[in-house]
Amino acid sequence: MRCLHTFDLGLSPPLAEEAFRTFLRDTIAGGDRLLALFAEEPSSGRFLLHAVAGGASPGRFVHACTEVSPLSFRTFTDVCPGTHWFEREIYDLFGLVPEDHPEINPLRFHEGWPKKSFPMRSGGAPAPDARRGYRFLLVRGEGIHEVAVGPVHAGIIEPGHFRFSCAGETVQNLEIRLGYQHKGIESLLPGVPGMPKVLLSESISGDTAVGHSTACARLLEAITGKPADPSAERWRAVALEIERISNHCGDLGGLSTDIGYLFGAAHFGRLRGAALNLLLKITGNRFGRGLNRIGGIGPRVPGIAPEDLMVELGRLRNDVEEVGTTLLDAPSVVARMEGTGRLLPHTAKTLQIVGMAARASGRDVDARRDFPSPAYAESSPAKVLLDTGDVMARARVRFMEMRASFDWLSGILAAAMPQGTTETGGILPATDRRLVVSIEEGWRGEIVHAAIVDGVGRITRYKVVDPSFRNWPGLSFAVQKNVISDFPVCNKSFNLSYSGADL
Amino acid sequence: MLESILKRARTGNVTVGLPTADLPAPFRGMPVIGDAFRSGNVAEACAAVCATEAIDPERKTIDLGRCVFCGLCEEACGGEGIRFSQDPRLPWGKREHLVLGGPEPGDATAPPDLRSLLGRSLHLREVSAGGCNGCDLEAQALGNPIFDLQRFGIDFVASPRHADGLLVTGPVSKNMREALVKTYEAVAEPRIVIAIGACAASGGIFRGSYAVENGVGDTLPVDLFIPGCPPHPLTLLYGILGFLGRSPEKSPRG
Repeated sequence: MRCLHTFDLGLSPPLAEEAFRTFLRDTIAGGDRLLALFAEEPSSGRFLLHAVAGGASPGRFVHACTEVSPLSFRTFTDVCPGTHWFEREIYDLFGLVPEDHPEINPLRFHEGWPKKSFPMRSGGAPAPDARRGYRFLLVRGEGIHEVAVGPVHAGIIEPGHFRFSCAGETVQNLEIRLGYQHKGIESLLPGVPGMPKVLLSESISGDTAVGHSTACARLLEAITGKPADPSAERWRAVALEIERISNHCGDLGGLSTDIGYLFGAAHFGRLRGAALNLLLKITGNRFGRGLNRIGGIGPRVPGIAPEDLMVELGRLRNDVEEVGTTLLDAPSVVARMEGTGRLLPHTAKTLQIVGMAARASGRDVDARRDFPSPAYAESSPAKVLLDTGDVMARARVRFMEMRASFDWLSGILAAAMPQGTTETGGILPATDRRLVVSIEEGWRGEIVHAAIVDGVGRITRYKVVDPSFRNWPGLSFAVQKNVISDFPVCNKSFNLSYSGADL
Repeated sequence: MLESILKRARTGNVTVGLPTADLPAPFRGMPVIGDAFRSGNVAEACAAVCATEAIDPERKTIDLGRCVFCGLCEEACGGEGIRFSQDPRLPWGKREHLVLGGPEPGDATAPPDLRSLLGRSLHLREVSAGGCNGCDLEAQALGNPIFDLQRFGIDFVASPRHADGLLVTGPVSKNMREALVKTYEAVAEPRIVIAIGACAASGGIFRGSYAVENGVGDTLPVDLFIPGCPPHPLTLLYGILGFLGRSPEKSPRG
């Protein structure tokens, strides 16, 4: 299975910090992309940094780790800028300070937290003296003013704080401060690999319950040695594509709202509901909760026959096609979206942006093809790639991806259900300390779950990487030099999860 | 322009009425407690698989303020003890109204003076306080043409200064506690607090984490809890209209 990989940690001893830096630089230069960087405390007071990368060819995963001093390491942002937020996260959770980091502001913790509290660090080693307070970047110049928004916003959305530095109407810098949704999810995931972990993964980001729970269930299946059969894997992929359609519809509706195009807002709001109701008919819940069990899918799944689902999808497709064409051809819509909020391909590559936003900025990354799960190994949805990187491109990518998903769904639902057993490549027998990595392409982008498992099959460290965590820095770049009144439409065009980033 | 008008005409009215019947299977709505749960020993089997400790095998109760509607208890007992029906109408009210199988907790409707003050209008400020965004999305869905909350005179407003109360989601993360309290204080009195979803009632699946309070009740006085993970929009409508004493049967249909 190419969406899963197990590394025997006994076979990859820690590299020296400089060799680890070289590893990061060379794998990125060689066409791999960073999937995760995280810290671990394997024994009290001893700290390892793990980097997982891959994707240069389908199913390729590489791993390296390095032992760091209990207090600090030198930042890797010089060789791999995509590690920027990962390092801030490591600082917050483990108290390991990335020296020379360009912006070592707390990512998770706010003023009210005890200064010496690093929740994932045991008491076995002295902690840094104090956590640094948060300092916003100060933009200087004649007429520069700041606009502060949030954490409580005007609409019904999650909390986050945006600090704009503007010259007149034009945004010079946007600083995004998150952490308000921090729930300590990674502290709840270690332990016995059982169903409570899958239920928790459904709540990492509420609109990506299928994506996260599928990545989590597969990872736990690799640990316990019970892969789901191919028909269950097919239903997982079907639910994942419908989750993608529901969210893309919702976002096209949201973009319409933000530019005052009520026709699109009303229709796509309704069509999002129609797609969610299909998930309800498959899984019993509008967000696909209850789809996954360890070793397969829920006993009530699917609640609808493939033929009936095809009929309903056909109806939805006609509606999406009609409304989407009207929306994207409307001159008033094109005028507002074209050239707005550009994320240049070079920036997207440097920041290692993932998923749908990356594919609108010419970056060809898609876990369905780079790390295919069994259903996508049979066939995968057609490739969608644009390179203008503006709001229009992100809207068009959504529309084109929906078309590709509808095509793929009608093919897969018409084909005979696969029989037999799933090949168990990527799964190692439980022997020694190992690292299991599981990837799925959620609607925003690639979801990475990684777990370090001890010799008796207990999870000692669980790392979740939501695509939002990778893409938030991209929003800051996309908004620069735009007028501040275009921020809502720029923000919506990424529609990143606060919960998924804050964990 | 012409296409959009034609499309609107072809689409017609999509608004749904209030829930009077079941949603399609396999929807997991109101749990039905079977005799085996009350008298036999299946309550222990159900409690053993519950990730949120919603089931009390001693008292034979299910706390919907903790339940995430995963269906594992139904699978553990083969549907003998607990079976999830397709009914989206879940109990609402104070915290004790969410406990199934316990003592009868009495009327949870808003007091008459509050109801007469609000009349046929209720404006809410939504605060997302540490959840997964699922409940926010369902609250947001109330505004779409399918559920059309505004037909009942209920709406979400941009500022707490314009609101009669708050609708809160999430377990209240420690990082959101201060912002939640400040938003509450910015609402003019009398003000109500509605807490929706398992997290807001009890911390839900995040209960016990170092980073969350276990529900809104520890931070603010809550007038109305609505269970679910997340609650279906129809469950939200049923709870809010019920709390306002506006019998769903007499409300306008779609």
